[in-house]
Amino acid sequence: MRELAAELYKTVRRPAVWVCVLGLLAIAVTIGYAVPWLLETFSKTTQGLPPGTTLADLKVTLYPQNFVINTVGNPLGGVFALILGVLLQGSEYGWGTVKMLYTQRAGRVAMLFGKLAALATVVVLMVIGLFAVDAASSVAAALLDGKSIGFPEASEIVKGIAAMSLIFAFWAGFGFILATLFRQSAMAIGLGLAYALVIEGLIFGLGSSLLSSLKNVQQWFPIANTGYLTDSFGAVRIRGIRASAPPFADATHAVLVLTAYVVVFVVISAVLVRRRDVTS
Amino acid sequence: MATTTNDAVVATHGLTKKYPNGVIAVDGLDLVVRRGEVYGFLGPNGAGKTTTLRMLLGLIRPTAGTANVAGAAPGTPDSLTKVGAIVEAPAFYPYMTGYDNLRLLAIYCGVPVKRVDSALDAVELTPRARHKFSTYSMGMKQRLGIAAALIKEPEVLILDEPTNGLDPQGMADVRNLIIELGKGERTVLVSSHLLGEVEQMCTRIGVIRKGKLVAEGTIDELRGKSTLVIRAQPADQAMAVLAAECGSDKVKVTDDGAFGLSVDPARAAELNRRLVQAGIDVSELHESERSLEDVFMELTGTVSGL
Repeated sequence: MRELAAELYKTVRRPAVWVCVLGLLAIAVTIGYAVPWLLETFSKTTQGLPPGTTLADLKVTLYPQNFVINTVGNPLGGVFALILGVLLQGSEYGWGTVKMLYTQRAGRVAMLFGKLAALATVVVLMVIGLFAVDAASSVAAALLDGKSIGFPEASEIVKGIAAMSLIFAFWAGFGFILATLFRQSAMAIGLGLAYALVIEGLIFGLGSSLLSSLKNVQQWFPIANTGYLTDSFGAVRIRGIRASAPPFADATHAVLVLTAYVVVFVVISAVLVRRRDVTS
Repeated sequence: MATTTNDAVVATHGLTKKYPNGVIAVDGLDLVVRRGEVYGFLGPNGAGKTTTLRMLLGLIRPTAGTANVAGAAPGTPDSLTKVGAIVEAPAFYPYMTGYDNLRLLAIYCGVPVKRVDSALDAVELTPRARHKFSTYSMGMKQRLGIAAALIKEPEVLILDEPTNGLDPQGMADVRNLIIELGKGERTVLVSSHLLGEVEQMCTRIGVIRKGKLVAEGTIDELRGKSTLVIRAQPADQAMAVLAAECGSDKVKVTDDGAFGLSVDPARAAELNRRLVQAGIDVSELHESERSLEDVFMELTGTVSGL
C-alpha cells in the first residue's frame, strides 16, 4: 500500500499524465461527438452513404442509448493508455530515479507492483472519465436535437467500463513492458505506436488476402481481440445500413486472451526488474 | 588499530563483479567498515568504487562473494531500511519540488513526513524547498540528495563521490556536512578520487585499484613513518658513515642525490654530529613526511590527474 500511495503521489503531480488523460477526453468529445454532430447537422452531402440514408440518420450513434457502443468503439484510447504505460516506467530510467527507488525500503518487486497498481488506478479512472464525458456529450447531442434521453442499463455501462479497462490495461501493460525492456521512453513509444497503428494491421491486412487461414492465427493477436471485445457490444442500427458480420471470436475468448497478455506483461516485467543490474 | 569484524557495519568477502563482456570491475574485494567511522573509499576513476557501492546497495548483483550491509544482505528491505545513499548524481523527479521529492521518499519509506523538514534544515535547503527540482543548481541537487539519504535516519550512509560537480564552496559545505553526519554512532562510507577531501573527512581509508583493495588503514598508517633527508658531501663517505650508524638497509639514495633514512627523526642531531665529526659537509637535514598523494600514487600506479 505504501508503494501504491507513493506512486499515486508522484503520478497525480506529473503534468504529462494530466496531458495524456485530459487529451484523451478532449479528443473523445471532439472526434467522437462535436465534429460528427456538426457534420451531421449542417452538411448536406450524401456521398458514400447508401441510397435513402442521410447524414442526419447517423446521429443516432451520438445519443445516450448508444453511448456505451460509441465509447468502447473509440479507437484512440489504447494509444493514450500505451503512452501512459511508457511514461510511468520509462521516465524512471530517463531521470535515473530507478536507483533511488530501488534503494528505498521496499524490494524491487514491491516497487514494481506499487507502480503497476498506480497505473491500473489511473487507467480505470481514465476509462470512467471517458464514459462520463461521452455520456455528457451524448446528453448534449440529444438535448440539442430535441430527442429523449434514455441510457443503456447500468449493467451494460459497467460491462462497458470493464471491457474498456481491460483493453486499456493491455495497452498500458504493453507500453510498460516495452519501457522496461528498453529502459527508456522514446524507443518504447515508437515501437508501441508502430505496433498499434501499423504492424498487426499490415500483417493480417495483407496476409489474409493471400491466406484465408490467417484468421485462425489472428485470433490470438491483441488488436484483433480488442476488436472482438468491442464488437461484442453490438452495433448501432442506422437506417439503410446493414449490420456488419459477427466477430470471428466471442467476448469470452477476447477477455481471456487480453487477460493472458496482461499477465504475461506483468510477469516478464517482474522478472526483468528483479534480475537486471541498475548501472545507469 | 587492527580491523575486526565484530563491529562491522559493512563487510564484504571476496566480492566480485565480472560483466558479460569479460571486464572485471571488482575483484575479490574484502572490505570492513566499522560502526561510527567515516570510511573513505579511494581510488582512481574506473577503479571499481561505484560498482562496489552499487553492489552494497543491491543495485548490481555480484558474480561471486558475499556482502553484508547493516546486518543483512544488500538490497533487502532489512538492509535498505538502515541505509541512506547517493549513487553518482542524485536523481529526483524534475517536475516536483524538493519538498515533494522528499515527501515522496518519506511515503516510500514509511517514515513520518515531519522528517522532511528536519532533513531540509540539515542541508540548509529550506528556503528553496518549494522550488522545482529542475531549477536547482548542482550543489542544491547534491544537498537534496544528502537530505534524501537522511530521511530514513539511517545507521549507514553510502555516498558515492558526493562533491562531484560542485564548486569549491559547495565542496567545502558538503565536506563539513559529512563530517557532522559522521559524528556519533552513524557510519559513513564515502567514495572519492579526491585525496584532500578524503584526508579531511575520513577516519579510515581503503584504496582500490583495478577492483582490488590494495591498502586499508588510517591516514597515518597509510603514510607510514616519516624519514630523515640528508644532503652531504662527499657522498661516498657520507654513505659509509650513515650505513654504519643506521644500517645499510635503512639508507636510500634519492633521485636527486640526497639520502633518505628510515630512522627515528629524533636522531637528526646525533647523525649530523657524526657526519661533521667525520669531516663531511652537511648542507641539508630535515624530516620528510610522505603525503597521502605519494601513498596513493604508489598504491594505484597513478601518475597524476587526481
